[in-house]
Amino acid sequence: MRTYVVKRVLIAGVTLLGMSLLLFVLMRLAPGNITDIIFESAGYVDEGDRRKLEAELGIDRPVVVQYGRWLADFLRGELGKSYRYDLPAWEVIRPRLPVTVELAVLAMGFAVVLGVPFGVISAVRRGRPLDYALRVVSLAGLSMPSFWLAMVIILTLVRALGWIPSMTYVSPFDDLGANLAQFLLPALAVGYRSSALIMRITRSTMLEVLREDYIRTAWAKGQRGTQVVWRHALKNASLPVVTLIGIEFAFLIGGLIVTETVFNLPGVARYLVDAIQYRDYPIVQNLAMLIAIVVVFANLTVDLLYTWLDPRIKYGGA
Amino acid sequence: MTRPRPLRPLLSLAAVALLLLAGGPATGQNAATPKSGGVLVTSPLAATPSLSPHEESTIATVQQASPCFNNLVYFDPAKKVESVDTLIPELAEKWSWQDGYRNLVFFLRRDVKWHDGKLFTSADVKYTFDAVRGAPDARAKLRVNPRKLWYENIEAIEAPDAATVVFRLKHPQPSLLPMLASGYSPVYPAHVPLAELKNRCVGTGPFKLKENKPGELVEYVRNPDYFVKGRPYLDGIKFVVIRDRSTQIAALQSGQLDVAGSGWNKTNAENARSGHPKLTIVEADSNVNDNVLVNFKRAPFTDVRIRRAINLALDRKAYLVGPRQGAATFGGALLPRPAGVWGLPAAEVAKLPGMGDAAKQKAEAKKLLAEAGFGPANPLKITVSTRALAIYVDTASWMVDQLQQIGVEATLEQIESGVWHPKMTRLEYQVALNLTGVGIDDPDAQLFENYRCGSQRNFSAYCSEEIDRLMIQQSQTLDPKKRLALVQDIDRRLQADGARPVLGWAKQYSVYWPHVKGWAVHENSIYNVSRRQDVWLDK
Repeated sequence: MRTYVVKRVLIAGVTLLGMSLLLFVLMRLAPGNITDIIFESAGYVDEGDRRKLEAELGIDRPVVVQYGRWLADFLRGELGKSYRYDLPAWEVIRPRLPVTVELAVLAMGFAVVLGVPFGVISAVRRGRPLDYALRVVSLAGLSMPSFWLAMVIILTLVRALGWIPSMTYVSPFDDLGANLAQFLLPALAVGYRSSALIMRITRSTMLEVLREDYIRTAWAKGQRGTQVVWRHALKNASLPVVTLIGIEFAFLIGGLIVTETVFNLPGVARYLVDAIQYRDYPIVQNLAMLIAIVVVFANLTVDLLYTWLDPRIKYGGA
Repeated sequence: MTRPRPLRPLLSLAAVALLLLAGGPATGQNAATPKSGGVLVTSPLAATPSLSPHEESTIATVQQASPCFNNLVYFDPAKKVESVDTLIPELAEKWSWQDGYRNLVFFLRRDVKWHDGKLFTSADVKYTFDAVRGAPDARAKLRVNPRKLWYENIEAIEAPDAATVVFRLKHPQPSLLPMLASGYSPVYPAHVPLAELKNRCVGTGPFKLKENKPGELVEYVRNPDYFVKGRPYLDGIKFVVIRDRSTQIAALQSGQLDVAGSGWNKTNAENARSGHPKLTIVEADSNVNDNVLVNFKRAPFTDVRIRRAINLALDRKAYLVGPRQGAATFGGALLPRPAGVWGLPAAEVAKLPGMGDAAKQKAEAKKLLAEAGFGPANPLKITVSTRALAIYVDTASWMVDQLQQIGVEATLEQIESGVWHPKMTRLEYQVALNLTGVGIDDPDAQLFENYRCGSQRNFSAYCSEEIDRLMIQQSQTLDPKKRLALVQDIDRRLQADGARPVLGWAKQYSVYWPHVKGWAVHENSIYNVSRRQDVWLDK
């Protein structure tokens, strides 16, 4: 087990290093740099002043030097300054993190809370009206992109009720009710698609497991239905579901970008897109690396969960 | 076996959502006497890159920074058409041109304090405009200085005492006064470093900065020490950045916004009012134009016949009903009357290239192309570049279609918004569709910036020594009638040269709830009306 964890952590480290290189190179391949963007908002370009600005920001140095310096700073926890706002990068990123974390957790919560029980019910009630109804719900979730659903929610609310969630961020520590009113609908918009996927996987794996001999034995021994389904069958059907949840969490960020825009939530996902447009290298690189760390960590957690879910899995030779 | 209750979570969610729903927006009634109090919530065009107007060229900055600052003089918000006749005092109590318009003397108020409590003096004025004009002995230097050109005629700025400032000019220049009244010309505090002003506004204006969350929110509270007694009426202004236009509309309809963000077109305004007939829509002209950049440094556009053919091919009436949806005014290089002060008369505008019979003009364009050696066997192939924003792309796509109708093989190139001006400055294009907003409706600002040889914003690289000479001549002409005649002569020549042809001047739309009072709109500039000290809420 320890060897496996060490190996996985090492692989995670290599993955993150490759990620950092990819990020750095991709940002440099995009046309223009931050000095172009700064002059863009001024509506003109003075080449002399632009070169001075490049030197001031250190982006006139060789790319390898820039990369090495950024990586060293990142490892020391120094995130540098936002080129666009002339503020410490952490000061710009920090207030946005709780917004995205809350939205992601709620969205994932919706996805799991809706997806797993619906999948189980659908499998147990296979071929009955409830199964068909839930499969329609699931298919709808897969068919509707979160940005479209988010916009439909906003437009429906304003048309039907003359109300939409607050356009300015309300912290849960200031007003929990208002915070939930602001976050529940966007979380639902993002989580619905994931819940549909989770439901389908849960259903199909549950159908397989429910045909297993040990389940039939459990029924034959007269065990209660809830115990058979939720304790024996679901636990054994969980491996692919947990894997999927890990993958979905990684993909969640894509849905959050648009949902944060539509619901005007000041999170990091939306801000990342702004920062890319502004070529705000310190923000993009550091933020993307933080997201990469979260994703790698989520995958690692999922892998480690396997042993708890299925004790037959041994990591020694992995 | 326990039967699951699959709908329970959804029902719970619906119940929570219903419990959290709030009521519709409150609407006010008309009242003649202004009321104090309330916080106005609006959404600006976009997030501002900084709160320093001297370093930016976007209306987003002017909108969000103007409530914090003051100018020496300002355009009267109540007068719809800005001109030297509508200037009102702000930090300067009065002013006087002396020595045949060579010296401009300002007599300053002595009762003005910066938001941090320090006293405002003439030293602040000298500090600000020395920095902006890039004076060799300036105490501070702007990192980016887009309007240095405006102040290049200033020889020296003197502050003989705490309440007097003298701008000494190299040549007479009546336009200096309106330039100082622009939303881009506030006075900065000499005791606060320029870099700090990018994120922390310390002004003398009617509102003090409460919170600045870059990219998200700028919030102001009333300045209790404001030197104009009884102003501002509002307790505060909140600028909430809402990027998505549909969400902006929904926010206005739900009552979360009192006033909609700028940059809305006619369709946005009408969409917002559908189902909400109480919303007020104000349509006005503006000094933002759609213009065609033809690269004067690149063949075959050095040939006047090609430039004229392109200009003729672009049917202005089709432009009006097409990309502009009926919301534009025709004109030349300067905004025409009645909204503008300096533009060509309507009768002349009607005769400009592209304004006549479309079929005849396209036939003439084809003839010119043939004379220049281009025809069906050897079509002119061009790329029409534009900024990758819908408002640009719509018009550029229309341009491509118009050019194809005269046999030009035109293709559209969308350039990422962030590198648009740098590419134009480096002349990395053939033909382009651009939008230009001018800080003030003034010939010096418009002509020197966009048509003078070597100007950094002369994106077509048009250069005529004769035009430059006339520009300088009009700038120094003191008689308004003679100056107007000179400016119109320049405009006619620019149109004849095909120098940056203007397709039209866009209309602007303001949409707000009836309880918002005193929301001023100017017909000939969007940049100089954002102080908002006279706005009040009738709630």
